[in-house]
Amino acid sequence: MPMAMAMPVTTDCGSGSRWSMVSLKSALPPLASSIKLPCRRRTPPPRTRSPQLVRSFSALSPVNPLHSLGFSDMSSFGQNFTIIDNGCRFFAMRHGRRVPKLNRPPDQRRALLRGLTTQLLKHGRIKTTRARASAVRKYVDKMITLAKDGSLHKRRQALGFIYEKQIVHALFAEVPDRYGKRNGGYTRIIRTLPRRGDNAPMAYIELV
Amino acid sequence: MPRSVETLVVGGVIGDVLDMFTPASEFTVQYGGKQVTNGCDIKPSAAADKPHVKILGHPLSSNLYTLVMVDPDAPSPSEPRLREWLHWIVVDIPEGHDATKGRELVAYMGPQPPTGIHRYILALFKQEGAMEGRVQVADVRANFSTRRFAAQNRLGLPVAAVYFNSQKESAVRKR
Repeated sequence: MPMAMAMPVTTDCGSGSRWSMVSLKSALPPLASSIKLPCRRRTPPPRTRSPQLVRSFSALSPVNPLHSLGFSDMSSFGQNFTIIDNGCRFFAMRHGRRVPKLNRPPDQRRALLRGLTTQLLKHGRIKTTRARASAVRKYVDKMITLAKDGSLHKRRQALGFIYEKQIVHALFAEVPDRYGKRNGGYTRIIRTLPRRGDNAPMAYIELV
Repeated sequence: MPRSVETLVVGGVIGDVLDMFTPASEFTVQYGGKQVTNGCDIKPSAAADKPHVKILGHPLSSNLYTLVMVDPDAPSPSEPRLREWLHWIVVDIPEGHDATKGRELVAYMGPQPPTGIHRYILALFKQEGAMEGRVQVADVRANFSTRRFAAQNRLGLPVAAVYFNSQKESAVRKR
């Protein structure tokens, strides 16, 4: 964008003369295409809004003293466009998002949950933090449901999730007797006293 | 208190070991200075000796009580093949006194959970009269049934119960 970089170097006369619409539009990257904000289940951004915003910015630019001074670089100006103009709705709140993140990146999160389900199926009752206990319920129920089905494909799926294969084979052997009649809800969480070191709320999670 | 029955239901005590009952008496269990509340954690080393069990009530009343301590999660909570493991039976405890005043039928054995977190349940039954020689207790501690014991000795439903958790302490002491 050579035009964009060359413009702010000149003197600080009236800003309206420098920022002509044609040069701006040609200098900027195509709008609303490459920037992706993390928004799931939102509609794609409406394209019609972008020209209006460009017009509003050109009207505002004389007011902004930074622009008249010539110190504003094009990159920040461009960034303002992308954040506001993208149209993709980006909320600051967590409304309705139900995946527990457990303060970990996705790979560690998956490993933690795999380890917790393995230990729970091995020992029958474990003591952990409440958030982790609440998050691991889903995976334990899934493993028990796989074991209830019992086919080879399900067994291999379970082997891909649980870390120890002895536990998978033991699970597939005993689940029909133990949970044959129960429909779901194979775990129970009992809240208990907080941990001494960091006062983290703890809970026992056990197989029903 | 109905609240304590709820914790017993949630903890699975009522269902696995005992039947639903309404608490009629109260008793306190203490290991060293620590009072046992439902679901609290007691280390096996702290519970190696008998606890102080005191039945609250009027010392002059003639009610006698039986105390039974079992572990329903032997050898492991995920596979309780030896449910329940008997730890202690004391009969003829007079009301208002502690368990040393009763007759110990089965000697106290402390919790030694080999794997997993085990529940240890202390159940109190009210006796109709003094237990003479009618009580027959099996020699093995494994596969005990509290319900069967209560039915055989006409004890009925328990009048109070409390349980605590215990797990094997690691060899390296965790701070």
